[in-house]
Amino acid sequence: MTIEFRDVHASYDTDTPILKGVSFHVDDGEFVAFVGTNGAGKSTTMRLVNGLLKPEKGEVLIDGVSTVELKTSELARRVGFLFQNPDNQICSSTVREELLFGFRALGRLDANAEARVEEIIEEFGLNPDDDPFLLNRGTRQLLALASIVVLDTPVVVLDEPTTGLDFRECVKVMRIIRRLHESGATIVMVCHDMEVVADFAERVIVMSDGRVVDEGPTFEVLRNRHTLEVASLVPPQIVDISLALSLVRQDLRGTPVTQANDLDEMCDAVAQVKDVEYLGARGLEGGSR
Amino acid sequence: MNGFLEYVPGDSLLHRLNPVAKLLFAIVFAITCFCTGNLVFLCCMFALGIAMAASCGMMKQVLGLMKAVFVFSLILAILLVFTTPQGEMLVELPWGYIGTGSLLAAATTIVRLEAAAIPLFLTFYVTKISDLSNSVVKVLHVPYKYAFTFASTVHFIPVFMNDMKGIMEAQTARGIEFDVGGIVNKVRLMVPLCVPLLVSSVRKTNSAAIAAEVRGFNLRTRESGYKQYPFSGADFVVLALAVGLLAAAICLTVLL
Repeated sequence: MTIEFRDVHASYDTDTPILKGVSFHVDDGEFVAFVGTNGAGKSTTMRLVNGLLKPEKGEVLIDGVSTVELKTSELARRVGFLFQNPDNQICSSTVREELLFGFRALGRLDANAEARVEEIIEEFGLNPDDDPFLLNRGTRQLLALASIVVLDTPVVVLDEPTTGLDFRECVKVMRIIRRLHESGATIVMVCHDMEVVADFAERVIVMSDGRVVDEGPTFEVLRNRHTLEVASLVPPQIVDISLALSLVRQDLRGTPVTQANDLDEMCDAVAQVKDVEYLGARGLEGGSR
Repeated sequence: MNGFLEYVPGDSLLHRLNPVAKLLFAIVFAITCFCTGNLVFLCCMFALGIAMAASCGMMKQVLGLMKAVFVFSLILAILLVFTTPQGEMLVELPWGYIGTGSLLAAATTIVRLEAAAIPLFLTFYVTKISDLSNSVVKVLHVPYKYAFTFASTVHFIPVFMNDMKGIMEAQTARGIEFDVGGIVNKVRLMVPLCVPLLVSSVRKTNSAAIAAEVRGFNLRTRESGYKQYPFSGADFVVLALAVGLLAAAICLTVLL
């Protein structure tokens, strides 16, 4: 299922425009990350995808159909939305009930739904009888994600899915999201953690001051010094090293050493260039994902 | 953008008045509205409330408030119409009748509630909540603990409203249609959402209480505040006006 924004303008009150002519296209089955500073308009863009906010000007199309024409329940069947705060989403007394909630809301509660819930409980390693409000932050986030995944929506929007999670929880959540993507879902994610973005996203859309300032394959965008500066982004460690190496060794620019997408690739490339300080890269091993 | 009951900065006369004077005026004004059933007098009180709102540029906020109060007062008014058989009979009911007096009582209730609410809520829009709580501690010698509780309650109203909005949006994203089926359906759908709201409220208030404790909340006394809240001539005039209105209401009730 595709997502298309055509010159979208949006605001919460007419005095303060948030989006000022945003256009982009997300293909079916893509994994796209939105990055940028706070207030750049990323979360607003996400709210437009699932119709919580309607554009003042321009069009938001989900598989070619405008969100203005779709009812909330129809949009919910197409787009799953994981909010930043799982506590806004959770409202049932047990984990199982929480997972069934979406099926009830969409009028799809049947034996298949119950079987799907059991499957998800198993996959996420949740206890079906736990009280969601008594779970820790990471497990609540996992439950909120499970309640989206269980509905098998073709588009999944994730608004900062790793905020407040420790490393282990973050990896668990992101692995589930990767599986979801591999199963064919279109993933759109807002994320401040550039390491996560570099590890998981296929494409990055950079926003600043309500506009798209750059977009393209993840590492191509994250290596663009101008983009990093405009959007105040701190690149992932591997890109940081590449950029630093490019500065001190201009002869390495454009070579596999400065174009590596992960530490292994870089180590292999460095091994080919004997006079480069190999220890500089080795020192980060274990620190980088 | 300012939220419900959030201070709106300004330099009007109402903004400059002593917070205690504003609070006392609003309370006496509200009591006055309940001291008389004279519809003409209540309409004058209502007009005075509107004039005060206009004088400090809060018409937008007051209109929003009036809408909310109107819904509540309309429910009361409807109950009154059906349960207060007074005046000349207009419609006969199995348990009584609807009379001209019933309609008058209903209209009086609506105007009374609207008039009483305006200055009370206006006080919050033209006074910083910290000034309000500090001044009642300094001037009225209210224990800080109670003033803080009151201030926190008011402070948390927009916070909880925002939380409820977030919760409703999260459920809308899951397919719940709050905008279909009218008010009854909306209420039915909102009831289960009170659980997450309650949980988040308890978590927030607990965190706020701990944060206050660790910063020496219990050490605070009346002398801790450095800001003084002296009364000016305008404050006395406003208080005199409040007393005058109350006296007029009592006289009207006794004489008529």
